Amino acid sequence: MSEKHPLLATFRDQIQRCSRCGFCQAHCPVFGTSLRPALNARGKMLLLKEVLEGSLELNEELVESLFQCTTCASCTVNCPSGVDVPTIIKAARKEMVGLGACHPAFVAMDQVLEQNPNIYAEDEPGDFEAPRGKQAEVVYFMGCVGQYREEEATEAALEVLGHLGVDYTLIDEVCCSGVLEDVGFDIKPALAAKNLELILATGAETLVTGCPYCFRTFNNKQIYAPLKEAGVEILHLSQFLANRDLGVITDQVVTYHDPCDLGRHTGIYAEPRRTIQTLAPNFVELPHHHADALCCGAGGGVRGAFAKNSLDMARRRLAEVDQVGAEVVLTECNSCVHNLANAKLRAQKFRVLTTAQFIAELID
Amino acid sequence: MQASWKPRLAELVGPDNFSDAVIDLVSYSSDASEHSIRPQAVVWPTNVEQVRSVVLLANELGFPLYPRGAGTGLSGMATPSTDGLVLDLARMRRIIDISIQDRVAVVEPGVVYADLDNALAPHGYFFPPDPGSSKVCTLGGNVATNAGGVKGAKYGTTRDYVLGLSLVLGDGREMKVGGRNIKSVSGYDLTRLMVGSEGTLGVLTEIILKINPKPTATATALAVFDKLEDAGGAIVGVMSSGILPSVLEILGRETLQAINQNTELNLPEVDAMLLCETDGFTQAEADYQMERVVEQFQANRARSVRQATAAEEVADLWQARKSAYAVLARLKPNFVLEDVTVPISQVVNMLAGVQEIAGRHQVSIATFGHAGDGNLHPQVLWDAAEPGETERVEKAVDELFALAIELGGTLTGEHGIGLSKAAYMGLEHGSAAMETMRNLKRSCDPNNILNPGKMALDG
Amino acid sequence: MQIQGYEFPEELYYDPEHFWVRLEGDELVMGMDDFAQKLAGEIVYVQLPDDGKKLKKGKKLAKVESGKWLGKIFSPVDGVLITVNEALETDPGLINRDPYGEGWMYRIAADDVSQVEGLLHGHEAIEVWIAAEIAKHAEQA
Repeated sequence: MSEKHPLLATFRDQIQRCSRCGFCQAHCPVFGTSLRPALNARGKMLLLKEVLEGSLELNEELVESLFQCTTCASCTVNCPSGVDVPTIIKAARKEMVGLGACHPAFVAMDQVLEQNPNIYAEDEPGDFEAPRGKQAEVVYFMGCVGQYREEEATEAALEVLGHLGVDYTLIDEVCCSGVLEDVGFDIKPALAAKNLELILATGAETLVTGCPYCFRTFNNKQIYAPLKEAGVEILHLSQFLANRDLGVITDQVVTYHDPCDLGRHTGIYAEPRRTIQTLAPNFVELPHHHADALCCGAGGGVRGAFAKNSLDMARRRLAEVDQVGAEVVLTECNSCVHNLANAKLRAQKFRVLTTAQFIAELID
Repeated sequence: MQASWKPRLAELVGPDNFSDAVIDLVSYSSDASEHSIRPQAVVWPTNVEQVRSVVLLANELGFPLYPRGAGTGLSGMATPSTDGLVLDLARMRRIIDISIQDRVAVVEPGVVYADLDNALAPHGYFFPPDPGSSKVCTLGGNVATNAGGVKGAKYGTTRDYVLGLSLVLGDGREMKVGGRNIKSVSGYDLTRLMVGSEGTLGVLTEIILKINPKPTATATALAVFDKLEDAGGAIVGVMSSGILPSVLEILGRETLQAINQNTELNLPEVDAMLLCETDGFTQAEADYQMERVVEQFQANRARSVRQATAAEEVADLWQARKSAYAVLARLKPNFVLEDVTVPISQVVNMLAGVQEIAGRHQVSIATFGHAGDGNLHPQVLWDAAEPGETERVEKAVDELFALAIELGGTLTGEHGIGLSKAAYMGLEHGSAAMETMRNLKRSCDPNNILNPGKMALDG
Repeated sequence: MQIQGYEFPEELYYDPEHFWVRLEGDELVMGMDDFAQKLAGEIVYVQLPDDGKKLKKGKKLAKVESGKWLGKIFSPVDGVLITVNEALETDPGLINRDPYGEGWMYRIAADDVSQVEGLLHGHEAIEVWIAAEIAKHAEQA
C-alpha cells in the first residue's frame, strides 16, 4: 500500500509522538499574538495527525495554519517529547505545494525568483561604493534584505570592514534562494550556480555574510557544498567581528535580540555578545534570551504572507526592550532589524539597529 | 445542530470572535488527553454579556457548550463529548486588580498563570498552587479543575485560594458567589462547589484569588533510598516532623532508570529518590526546617543526602524531577499520566502496588509525584500498535484505581475526572453522593448544555 | 473623477511618483493615490518620521511597504514635517481603504507653497499621465 503523503509520512513517528501537552503555547510567537490553538505547534501536529490518518485533506483550508509558522523552533526547544516542528512543517509545505495548495505570496516568490535575481524583483541594486567582483581575501554577501530593504545596515557593515582594513569585495550576488526550501519549493539551481561562480572567481578564502539565513543556506545546503570543497570558510559577520578590537566604547544601555537563525538554529550566542559587551559595557539581557529568545515574527515567510501578524509578533518582542529600559536594541539579522524597526511605535524611544550600524555610529 | 445558529453566534460575539474553519475545529477537538471529537464551531467571547448570550442561545437551540482555557487538562474536561460549540475564554484575559492590602488578585478566566505570577512578583507575592503547565494554563482552567502542583504539601491547591467568583450558570443566570473577604460562612459555600466542577455547572467570568507573600529563602535536599519502605518511612516522618516542607517529591525506580537511559544525569538506580524543599522568610527559618527533614531522611536509612541553597546547585538537584515527565513521554508512542492520591501513610503501599500490578500485567509504569500530599503520578507507557498491549494497559489501570480506593485514596488528586475517569466514579462515590451531584447539576444546568457527558453526571 | 477605474479627486495635485497633495493655506497634506495603492497591494508599513523633521524638495521623506513592494516617498516641497497620521502606525491598511481621506499620511509646512505648481493638476493633465502609467505597467506585467 503506497503512502498518500510520502514526505509527510517520514515524520509519522514524531507527529504521533506529540502528546498534546500544549506546553508549546508558552513559546510560540504566532500563538502568543493570535491566541488561536490552530496556529500553535500543537494545533499543527493535530492537523497533520489527522491528515496521516486520512480524516483530513491536505488542502487549501490548511494553508492559514501550516504556512503561518516562523520556523523559530521555540516549540521544539521546549517540547517534552522532542518533536522537531519546523522540519515537519517544511515537509508538510513541500507536500502541499506538490498538491497545489500554497499561500499565494510564496507561489509569487517562487515565480519571482524564476525570473529575477532577488526576492523583490528589484532591478537596480545599490552601488554601496564598494569594490565589486574583484580578487580579495573576503567576499561579503549582503543577502536580498540587506541589499534592497536595509541598505543602511549593509552600508554600516561595509564601513566597519573598511575601518578594520579588511580586504573584501562584493559580488553581483543573486538570491541564495534558501528561503524557497522553507516554504515548499526548492533552491533555484541557476541562482546557486551564479553565486558559486561569482564567489569562487574572487579567490576569496572567506565568505562573510550579514544575513544569518544566507549563512545557514551556504553552510548546510548540499547545492552550496562546492564552497567548502574549495576551502572557503563561511562566517556570519558576528563571528568575523567577534575577536577584533573595534576601538570604540559607549555608556549607552544596550540590549541584544537573538535572531532565531543565528541563535536557536545555529547556536551562535556568544560571539555577538562578546563584541557588544566590549563596546557597550552597560549591556542588559532581554527577559527572553539565548535559546529562549522571542522570535521577531519575520521568519519562515511569515512577514511576506502574514505581515500584520508578523508585526504584532515584533511588537511583542519590542515590549521586552521597554521592560529592561534599554536605549538601543541590537541584532545581527537584517530581517529581524527590518521587522523590529517597522513594528516599533513612535512612542517607543529606543533605537533598533544592527550591531554593525551601532559600531559605525560610534566610529563616526 | 443546525447551520442556522452559526450566523446568530457570529452576531452575538462579532465575526472576529467566531470560527468554523476546519483548522480551528481540529485544534479544539482535544485537550492534553487522548480524547478527540471535533466541535462544530468555536467562539472567543471578550466579555460577560457575550458569554451569557451564548449560553442562552445554547439553551434555546439545544446545543452543547464546552468551556475551555488553555486546553492542557489531562482528563478530557475540555474535549467535546459530542459535536457542539467550544467556548474559548482566552480572549478574556485582563488582570483586573491586584490589591496587597486586601490580599487579593482579581482576574478574568483567560489570564495565564505565568502572567499572574509575573504581575505579583514585583510586590513580593505569589499564587502558590503552581501546576506543571503553569507557563500556559489559565486561571479559569485552574479553578475549574482545582489545579494542584508541587507546592501542595505546604500550600494546598487552588480551592484553598478562591475567595469569590462571578459566573454564568448553565441556564444563563449570572451568579456572584463569595467576594474579597478572606473568610465568610454566609450561606452554602457555593464558591467551593464551583472550584473543580470542570465547567459542568457554570462558565467562570471573574475570579477573586487570595495571594500569599512569597518566602524569600529556600533550602533543598535530595535523598536516595535503597529500599522503598525506608522512603515511605521518610515521607511519613518528614510530613509529621512538626514542620511542613514546601515541596516533597518522589521518583520511583523505573523513573530513575528511564532518566538514566535517556540523559547523562547518571542517577543512582535505587528504590526511590526524595526531593525536598523548605521555605521561609529568613535563611535560618528555611534551614531549621531542612534540619528536621534531613533528620528524618537519616533516621530512615537514606543512602545519601545532598543539600543546596545556591541557585545553580539547587537547579542541579531539581534536574531529575524536572526531566521525569519529558523523558517518560518519549519512551513509547502512547502514555497516560494518572494521578491517584492516597493518605500520606499509604504512599509507599500505593507505589509498591503499582509495581506489582505493572509486573503482573507486563505493562511499563514509571511513577513519580507529590509524596508530600500523597499525590502519585504513575505514568503508564505502551505501544497501541502492539497487539494486546492496550488491553493489558486497561486492565492494569482498572486495578490501579481499585487499589487506590482500597487504600482509602481518591481517583484523582489534581487532574480531574472529565472523560478519562468518569467510568470509575462509582468506585469512589456512593449513590447518595452521585445523586446529590446530579441534582446540583440539574439545578444549575437543567438542559444539560454545559460540558455534557463528563464526570458521570449523565448517569 | 474616475479614470479607467481609478479615483483621482480633481482638486488635488499629483506627484508622478503617485502621491497626492492637498493645499491648506501654507500647509500641505500628502498621501498615496488610488493607482499606487491598488498596484502596491495591502500596505503593511508606513514610516512615520518625527514631527519637525526638515524636508527638502525631491529628497526622501519616508518609506512605505506592501508585501511585495517598497516605495520611497519624496518631499514635494522644502519645509518642515508638522505631523503624521498616527493611525497608520497600527492600521496602515487605511491607505488602501481610504487613500484620500482617513489614509492621509503627512502634513507639511511649506517654505514656499508655489513649489507645488510643478505637480500635475487638472483633469486633462491627470488623464494623460494615468493613461501612460496604465500602459507602462501593462507592458511590464
